[in-house]
Amino acid sequence: MRADRSIVVIGKVLAVTAILIWSLAPIAFIVVSAVKPSADIFAVPPRLTFVPTLKHFADLWSQWRGFFNGLVNSAIVTAGATLLAVGASTMAGYAYSRFRNPGMARSALFLVAVRLLPPIVIILPLFPMVNWLRLNDTHLVLIVLYATFFVSLGTLLMRAFIDQIPRELDEAALVDGASRFTILRRVIMPLSAQGMLALAVFVIVFAWNEFLFAFVFTSTRAKTAPLFIAEMMGSLDSFDWGVLFAASTVQLLPIVVFVLATQKHLVAGMTAGAIKG
Amino acid sequence: MASGRGRGQSWLPAAALPFLAPAHGLVLGVIALPALYVVWLSVTSSTFGKAPTFVGLANYIQALSDPYFWRALANTIVVVLVVVHVELVLGLGMALLFASGLPARPLLLAAVLMPYAVSEVSAAVIFRFLFDADVGPVNVALQALGLPPLEWSVVPAHGLAIVALLSIWLHLPFTFIILYAARLAVPAQLYEAARIDGVSALQAFRYVTLPQLMPAIVVAMLFRYIFAFRLFSEVWLMTQGGPARSTEVLAVHLYLDAFRFNAFGAAAATGWLMVLISLVLGAGYLWVLRRQMTSDAS
Repeated sequence: MRADRSIVVIGKVLAVTAILIWSLAPIAFIVVSAVKPSADIFAVPPRLTFVPTLKHFADLWSQWRGFFNGLVNSAIVTAGATLLAVGASTMAGYAYSRFRNPGMARSALFLVAVRLLPPIVIILPLFPMVNWLRLNDTHLVLIVLYATFFVSLGTLLMRAFIDQIPRELDEAALVDGASRFTILRRVIMPLSAQGMLALAVFVIVFAWNEFLFAFVFTSTRAKTAPLFIAEMMGSLDSFDWGVLFAASTVQLLPIVVFVLATQKHLVAGMTAGAIKG
Repeated sequence: MASGRGRGQSWLPAAALPFLAPAHGLVLGVIALPALYVVWLSVTSSTFGKAPTFVGLANYIQALSDPYFWRALANTIVVVLVVVHVELVLGLGMALLFASGLPARPLLLAAVLMPYAVSEVSAAVIFRFLFDADVGPVNVALQALGLPPLEWSVVPAHGLAIVALLSIWLHLPFTFIILYAARLAVPAQLYEAARIDGVSALQAFRYVTLPQLMPAIVVAMLFRYIFAFRLFSEVWLMTQGGPARSTEVLAVHLYLDAFRFNAFGAAAATGWLMVLISLVLGAGYLWVLRRQMTSDAS
């Protein structure tokens, strides 16, 4: 019995170690390599002691100034998409929570069914449309695209959260003569802040990291940070791993810290969205 | 409430419309109507800026007679099957491990979630380095152990393998969270009862855990099927579909058709085939699993 138990403990320790290495080692590798002197990056076996340097960040600043514009663009697009997605989803989630009939059920189904379409397919018709509207290479086109691809999930998520708010609260306000928009703003939104936050975390992570839409629809003015990193990777001849790691670190550290800080909301959103949706 | 009880109204209540307008406006304008426009594009011949002409099914014939389409389809199916099922097995194993009681669980949970925050691009940077042919630590370690290195930029099968690995690394946190939340929702009394009945750990898994988790497993699997099928960035950032177009998946194939080879009609046809395949994949699997579940229950 005792031997059995210690085998189980050893097995668990090994499994947890493997999971930690799998999840964290690649991220740690990027961040640590970003402050390693170039000669040490390629040392075999990997060198754990080295004199940290900010040279790669300085090189990034002097050689790839555009990357920092890319970060600003990413921030603008992320903020815009989050506001639009959370706003539209909260409104629709409220309606789906409070009005129920077959028509509403069908329109909710439509919202979800549309999400089955692969984004790459939508890019084909959107490309000429966006050109025609002269929206190519603008923040707006990415904001609208990112928000749209989160509005279905967002609506279901917000409905799940708003369902938990007693209807009596808004019915009482209706009797008092408040308009539905006032009720949404004064009653529903404060009480569903949890859900809005969970949805915001989703959209922020997606918009900050997204590649495909940004790759197709932006070229210079609205080009986002991930595209610069892809471009650095593409310039194969002058492949400077140090600068590449520095850029990746700058791109990923804020969002990793953000996810750590909002972990609870993220998990709540993932489970509510997937299981109830 | 405005909706009358039991009157079976089949249209949207007027009071709900202003609240639905933004969400539905976005979805209609950006996804639904453009998707219909793809149907039109797929039966016409046009290049940018020229008047389209109706060509019937010619684009579909062109798309289907392209050997690279079939190669891309086969690659997509293989990668999707591997990625989704490996994720489910690993995610399930991790969910059971976490549920069995671990010290410092919140910290471990945070660690497991981390890859979710990493962009495809940054993940590609690190995988390219770790598996670099000359200096990559993983390849160096493999060779030190006397194993063949992963020649992902030269050997197509290795290229697909690294794409699958990258994809699993990025999406495992999602699959894990769904399964872990479902496992936590299983009533403890069920395990208690199984223990009293003297059931072995394996039997408890077979007769308690698995049936209880089945709905969540199905949800996670469908979600991941639908999303894995769209695979683009991982391939584009690792191999760009090369060498010699051997590691293309459907999304990459479509992109190249449309934006590099200027075959917009064929790309639109491929797009509609993708829509159909993803619908069939999702629906077919759901049907099979429902049947399995009902026959298990009886």
